[in-house]
Amino acid sequence: MSIAAAPSAVAGRRARLDWPFLIASVLALTVLVALVLVDGQPAAAALLVLGFALGAAFLKTEFSFTASWRRLIVRGQADGFLGGLLLIAIAAAAIVPVAALVPGFGGAIAPIGPSLVIGAFVFGIGMQLANGCGSGTLYTVGGGSGRMLLTLAFFIAGSVIGSLHLPAFLRLGGIDPILASNYLGPWGGLAATWASIAVAAFAGIAMARRRGASYVPSRRIVFGAIAIGLLSIAVFAAGHHPWSVTFGFTVWGAKLATAFGVDLSHAEFWQWAGPKRALGDSILSDTSSLTDLGMILGAMAAAAASAPFARNPWPPLKSLLAAAVGGLLMGWGARLGFGCNIGAFIGGVASGSLHGWVWFLAALPGCAIGIKLRPLFGLSRE
Amino acid sequence: MRLVYAIVFSIAFVALVAEHLSSPSSGRPVSPEDFAGACAPCGAPCPSVSK
Repeated sequence: MSIAAAPSAVAGRRARLDWPFLIASVLALTVLVALVLVDGQPAAAALLVLGFALGAAFLKTEFSFTASWRRLIVRGQADGFLGGLLLIAIAAAAIVPVAALVPGFGGAIAPIGPSLVIGAFVFGIGMQLANGCGSGTLYTVGGGSGRMLLTLAFFIAGSVIGSLHLPAFLRLGGIDPILASNYLGPWGGLAATWASIAVAAFAGIAMARRRGASYVPSRRIVFGAIAIGLLSIAVFAAGHHPWSVTFGFTVWGAKLATAFGVDLSHAEFWQWAGPKRALGDSILSDTSSLTDLGMILGAMAAAAASAPFARNPWPPLKSLLAAAVGGLLMGWGARLGFGCNIGAFIGGVASGSLHGWVWFLAALPGCAIGIKLRPLFGLSRE
Repeated sequence: MRLVYAIVFSIAFVALVAEHLSSPSSGRPVSPEDFAGACAPCGAPCPSVSK
């Protein structure tokens, strides 16, 4: 009996493989890696491959900030939130000391002011309407969600609009970045970062216990946090800065706008050295674009390796509208707030930068409002 | 949805390769934070410098 069942199980697994999309994703990664290697950019090849691994890890472990923050707000359930903190604690172990001690490496820093707070707040609303943050958008797009394809398009558009507004918001004021290692040294900075993560974890546990909700992360969440945390360290090693997502979207949108005749070169944002260089250079020279592209392809490969790809029907119109509005708000908010959950929250906190926690505290009430708005678009609050 | 994905994927990939082949690329991938005066992942200047 078992001998007869074995070949049919293998045949079943093979039937679930979606060969066209699996081959396309692996082939696309191979071509992109070859292109950057021809240019003598091994670090770019590493970022593409690491992005691919991140996409597969996110998809396979279903690691999500949006859903876990929604569970935290609605039910007081802290399991996913604690998983996110574990990820940050792992990344911080390398980022805080290396950024402080090794020339050429740097942490994710950002000014603290109205732009950061407003941007993170608006991002929080958007991520609940879209049902995915920056990384969530990438891996669900790669995973075959047509709805999130729309979110990505509007995320890109919103981030270009945000790039045009950011200089004006920066003129509202703010203070220079506050980095723990600048005050406490590399190891004191790491201790302070871990202490701040521990305080947040205890706050999450206390909230869950008070509301009678669970807070112990499942094995899947713990495995995802460890895998993604280690991969984000590898991204830091290859790119010399913490992993970020949304600047790539801004570059893609700006290049697309330029291709359609819109001249962005006179806009203040695009005159700053980094954005100016990114607008002129190949997309495959930008660190965040490399991991973004790798993530989409990695999620696509992982999805196509386990089930027929993109076979779900399109969602209702109201859900598509939420995807578009959410994407637009996230794009605009990410530019003003100096990134998303990855670049601002994970990257910021894992660098020992105070702006990471300010971003989180501003994004959370935005999420609460986004959750209240979800029923308007036919989405559940949970 | 599958057809939409195939079309979007193909167009995006061809555009990406064409853009890469027609644009300069630096010796190693860069982030806006690599440039002097950058105070954020997008390359924004520090408030103390902007004033």
